[in-house]
Amino acid sequence: MSYTSREAFFAFRRSPLLTALSILTIAFALYTLSVFGLVWLNIERVLADVEERVEVVAYLEDGAEPGDTSVLVREVAAYPEVDSIAYVSKDAALERARTDLSEYSELYSDLEENPLPASIEIALKPGYRRSADVEDVARRVARFPFVEEIKYGEEWVEKLDFLQNLSLFLGVVVGGIFAGIAFVSIGATINMVMISRSEEIEIMKMVGAATGFIARPFVIEGFTKGVLGAVLALALLTATFETLQQRVLTLEFYAPIQLVLGVVLGGCLGAIASLLSLRRHLRSW
Amino acid sequence: MIRFEHVSKEYSRTGFALKNASFHLRKGEFMFVTGPSGAGKTTLVKMVTMEERPTSGVVRVSGYSSESIKRREIPLLRRRLGVVFQDFRLLRNRTARENVAFVLEVTGADTEQIKPRVLRTLAAVGLSDKADRLPSELSGGEQQRVAIARALVNDPFVLLADEPTGNLDHRIALDVLRVFKDINLRGMAVVFVTHDRSLLEHHPGARIIELDEGRIVGDSAAEEDPAA
Repeated sequence: MSYTSREAFFAFRRSPLLTALSILTIAFALYTLSVFGLVWLNIERVLADVEERVEVVAYLEDGAEPGDTSVLVREVAAYPEVDSIAYVSKDAALERARTDLSEYSELYSDLEENPLPASIEIALKPGYRRSADVEDVARRVARFPFVEEIKYGEEWVEKLDFLQNLSLFLGVVVGGIFAGIAFVSIGATINMVMISRSEEIEIMKMVGAATGFIARPFVIEGFTKGVLGAVLALALLTATFETLQQRVLTLEFYAPIQLVLGVVLGGCLGAIASLLSLRRHLRSW
Repeated sequence: MIRFEHVSKEYSRTGFALKNASFHLRKGEFMFVTGPSGAGKTTLVKMVTMEERPTSGVVRVSGYSSESIKRREIPLLRRRLGVVFQDFRLLRNRTARENVAFVLEVTGADTEQIKPRVLRTLAAVGLSDKADRLPSELSGGEQQRVAIARALVNDPFVLLADEPTGNLDHRIALDVLRVFKDINLRGMAVVFVTHDRSLLEHHPGARIIELDEGRIVGDSAAEEDPAA
């Protein structure tokens, strides 16, 4: 066993409790981040579904002249956000209502006057289907004088947007707190090992061991803790996911590459925590 | 080799540890550095290892200068020096052999070369038969021999010993001095720091630098080489 790998596991034997604490806090940090990430991912999926159906519908006043309508269609079609635009006349609207709502067909059968307004249906390009863009288009279309009402499923879009931002925020804040605790406990382990091995490190410095060589076992140790923490987090996450999947609804899980990246992220977190706390000791070398 | 040029070292709390010290250690030379405690002997050793830098003046060691050496070069310099301390500084949980091998392990020596080099070096200090003992199973003199072997194993050009006999009784101290003399006979320069003047007479051919309150107050080689 080489010097570096032997020493990297020294801390595990020397202070098992502190080591376990470091691994657990990294695990909690990554677990929290990944759970909220999963919420984010699933909201993103729902949003993508909803977005495909997002359209702005402008209902026109009955008195709107055909000339006015064609100006509106032409101008709105020129908006950079607009993908396609369709004019639905009063008659077409009635026809559609009859087909779509066949169970109420008698309601529409003996009308003296068509109560449905003409409308234009505006589909937006991908990338412009979020609440801010949709609202913006709706606002501009509403300025045309003969537009009576605008509908675009605003509550839905806003609520989902809000939930997604909230899950991101919570994930970062709670995950960040655990990551902070992980940093402190990794630093404390390193300080303990530094003290217990100060004689050895003194000798290494004296005989000309390179700084990187002295630091390497500590960095490997931090990386290993991070990876172990990430694997633990992954196990917890999988268990949580399976439970939700069975009891609640079909959810989307991370792609394998994302999981691998998560484990690497854990390792890097541990290694960085080690490096940060080593820096103090390194400076005096 | 080692050259001090008007070297002063001042500490903010304790004042001057070295004042305007100049000397030149030549290849293969045996040099005692003596003087009462607090005279600046240990500071002088720390200047050679670049653990301390001069407040003024220049220290030159094996092509490196205290003015221009980079932090990452310091380990490279130290690999060319062998250092021995009064308190041995051996790792208590490792055998004599492992203590010596440690130097080679941590300086990236070829794994296959470690064992023969360690055994050869332990033989050179007369400890072949005690290679597998822990420091606690060795006498003070033997522990210091392990420390000397550790300093030698990387083939340094100079052996720096800071009060290597300070913890040993006189008879053992003379034994240890003999080890240093043997090593010097094979061509390696030795800087032997001691406050024990009685040792000096056991190596009459050696150069003696005397320090007092940070100044060099005597240098037996100064008359031969005024520039040193």
